[in-house]
Amino acid sequence: MDHSATSVGAPHGAPSEGSPYGIASKKLAIWLFIIADAATFGVILFAYGYLRLANPDWTKPFAFSPTIVNGIVMTVVLLTSSLTMVAAVAAAQAGRTSAGLRWLGATMLLGIAFAALHLREWFAMIGDGWRLFRNPMGGSPLFGATFFGITGLHLLHVICGVIVIAVITIGFRRGRFDAGHVETTALYWHFVDLVWMFVFPLVYLMNVR
Amino acid sequence: MTATVPPHRGPTMNLFVVVWIGLILIVGLEVFLTYERLPAGMLLACLLGLALIEAGLGVMYFMHLKYERPALFWSLIPYLVFALVMMDHFWPDALRLMRQRMQGP
Repeated sequence: MDHSATSVGAPHGAPSEGSPYGIASKKLAIWLFIIADAATFGVILFAYGYLRLANPDWTKPFAFSPTIVNGIVMTVVLLTSSLTMVAAVAAAQAGRTSAGLRWLGATMLLGIAFAALHLREWFAMIGDGWRLFRNPMGGSPLFGATFFGITGLHLLHVICGVIVIAVITIGFRRGRFDAGHVETTALYWHFVDLVWMFVFPLVYLMNVR
Repeated sequence: MTATVPPHRGPTMNLFVVVWIGLILIVGLEVFLTYERLPAGMLLACLLGLALIEAGLGVMYFMHLKYERPALFWSLIPYLVFALVMMDHFWPDALRLMRQRMQGP
């Protein structure tokens, strides 16, 4: 997208000042959302940390295989989806619509793969007897609540992200959305990726057997 | 009058690929450290430090913050850090108060 031609504000010819940040209002809005959401995840991870410290019988259920291996694959999938997303933004900004659509499609597929891997892991744990407030290993029942709560909130963000990318892809193909919309969606997607960079070490790696 | 956004320079795809490789290497290092069986406090500090480096790389490069006006960075990040530090500061009080509840008869 050519930023030199981006208009900011000024509906109906009303006088307005330029953006102090030099970005479109929708991009600033998504940044503000990201900061608020980062604080939300921060609260939840802090709460998890203190609950873990306050419970001496905290369970460490995760074996290298399959859980940690699955977590590594999920992390690589999510990081790769961020790379395909920046490729989509670059293509969209350069006016290469078909390339942008292909990269958006790749990002969606990787997001779906991440969610599928995550759900497979959840179902395996539920099959082993894990519930929100039941610990089949006999330790603190809060493990299930924190694990399913934190990873569930993140998974919800991933699923919402995939849906938003699908909507943006369709709109971008039809010419209803432009590169700015793709970039705004990309910011959200990268944020979801960054949250996982904290969830994986704190929730998975700190709980290996 | 319509305000316009000035053009900004951006990174190349090669740089993004380098950042992506760096992030994957950091994940590998995290897993390696986990199985070095470090004391829990030290492992937590290492993992958090590495996660912060990953977050920094992601925010600055993938999320383009390095290439935006500095005002955007200074308007967003310090306040988030401040809020998170305050949470960390007050959480122990929450646990302490929980133990100070009056017991029922």
